[in-house]
Amino acid sequence: MSTHAAPAPTVLPAAIPAAPAPAPQANAGKALGIGLAGLALTALGLLVPGNASAVAVAWLVGVVFWTAVAIGMLMLVMIHHLTDAGWSVVLRRQFEHGISGFKWLLLLFIPLLVASWLGAGDIVWPWGNLNHVMHGGHTVGHDPLYEKKSALLNLRTFSIVSVAVFAFWIWISARLRKASFAQDLDGDAKWSAMNHGTSASGITLTALTLTAGALCWIMSLEYHWGSTIYGMWFFSDCIRGALSVGLLVQLWLYNRGDLKGILNKKHLHSIGMFMHAFTAFWAYVAFCQYLLIWSADIPEETFWYNLRELNHDGSTNQWWYVGLGLVFFNFLVPFLLLLSYKHKITPAKVAPIAAWILGTVVLDLVYNIVPVLKDAHGDPQPFLSLNLVWIVTAVIGVGGVFAWSYLKSFASTKLIPIRDPRIVECITYHE
Amino acid sequence: MAAQPYGLIATFESASGVYHAAETVRDAGFKHWDCITPFPVHGLDRAMGVKRSVVPRFALAGGVLGFSSAMGLAFFTGAVDYKIIVGGKPFFSPIPTTPIAVELGILCAAIGTVLGFFFMCGFPMHYHPVLKSDRIVPALDDKFLIVIEARDPKFNLAQTKALLEKIGGQDVKELEA
Repeated sequence: MSTHAAPAPTVLPAAIPAAPAPAPQANAGKALGIGLAGLALTALGLLVPGNASAVAVAWLVGVVFWTAVAIGMLMLVMIHHLTDAGWSVVLRRQFEHGISGFKWLLLLFIPLLVASWLGAGDIVWPWGNLNHVMHGGHTVGHDPLYEKKSALLNLRTFSIVSVAVFAFWIWISARLRKASFAQDLDGDAKWSAMNHGTSASGITLTALTLTAGALCWIMSLEYHWGSTIYGMWFFSDCIRGALSVGLLVQLWLYNRGDLKGILNKKHLHSIGMFMHAFTAFWAYVAFCQYLLIWSADIPEETFWYNLRELNHDGSTNQWWYVGLGLVFFNFLVPFLLLLSYKHKITPAKVAPIAAWILGTVVLDLVYNIVPVLKDAHGDPQPFLSLNLVWIVTAVIGVGGVFAWSYLKSFASTKLIPIRDPRIVECITYHE
Repeated sequence: MAAQPYGLIATFESASGVYHAAETVRDAGFKHWDCITPFPVHGLDRAMGVKRSVVPRFALAGGVLGFSSAMGLAFFTGAVDYKIIVGGKPFFSPIPTTPIAVELGILCAAIGTVLGFFFMCGFPMHYHPVLKSDRIVPALDDKFLIVIEARDPKFNLAQTKALLEKIGGQDVKELEA
């Protein structure tokens, strides 16, 4: 008989299905099917006349979002190794499966390069075509600002940089995965030491390459504009996406029964605290960028936000509401919800929050990318338009391919790093 | 001798002994009692039925107070009490005020956390009967103590003493207030 609070069970309540579910990798074919269907639907948008740029930009959103998730996973794996963390060993294995997706993301990125080379150079990035007419009537080729930046912003250098950063991520992911998977077989601690070394140099190089990716693929869409914190902004989206996907995958595996007795409330609490911290981090970075530009009030910088607030005739456009929506829905709502301990440890509460964050991270990328599509007056095309359809299909399409890559990797090794020196510390993780 | 002792004190020889004894005392429904151990015993808080700390509430209250007082001060001074046009900017805008409000919010949240922690620990406390007992000395080295206070509604000198002895407590004695 207890009048005190009953001791909180360390392990989450049982959720094992009555009949053993098929192995997770059995879903790989389904994921690939959804992915290819999504990509095909996006490509169907090309049939709408004059829609090529909209489809290409939507494709960019899809690829960049899942690349951001994969980069976030890569960073979290390396942070795990560098801090020699114990609690996140099981979570790390999910991320190691996720980062197998870089090669497919590169494959999906290449069509954008091919289209820029072979088709209209400005199909996505306006500077790709020197005859692209800028706001005000002159062309990119006669733009002094373009000439200053042309060393990077030409299709050849751009393609080399894009492929190089992907190649680096593919290489370092393969290296981290190989050492971790080899340890499953022989239990040698040297593999952990090797990953510490890889991570020490890798984290700096990944920070630089993800900044290069953010600058080339997203910031250069408005190449007149520059923000020195842009890489940090992209990084915050990367980590938030990776944490949310990692949490949802862990809960999915738990509900299937795979992680029963392994995943406990303290794991969820720690992932939730990370999600909370990076929600605040996103707000910090995004707000810093806005505050400095607002405060300096220089037209070369403010135009980027003005485009997302006002049309040329001074009327408010839809992007103004998207921007405000980001403040409240990408920051305030998840921040307040994740303050609560109960919300972090209850699967039925934290899973919707994670899904919500994934949605708002997509919205954040859309806010940064899609206003490059202009109407006849040079105003951004409205947010609520047919373009949204291609964005949704592209995000689902690339996501299906990403999930397929995850599931394929899932089948290739153990469920958890069974011989990691810190696996016991992870499984017995408690307050 | 004082009419009412502070409580009963019992010695345990091992961490596992005090752990299981704590579970029994918890299940017996006592509220005002404590374990005294020479080192942290993992899981003892759960064996004692200690609820999660409420210190985060103090942090939240401090954060909200700090944030809103900074915003409020900037609004009152700039837009109500002493309006001056500076650089053509608005009298009050939440944008430049946010960093200040966040800083003050963090400061007050930190102060709230520390003060809340002290408060929940019962500070300031200049005297505690256990510290007067000789038995605190071995409890700083290799012995474990359970002290059940007399103010607990379930406290009954004879029955509680029997309970402590039943669960392995040695040398169960009254503790002078």
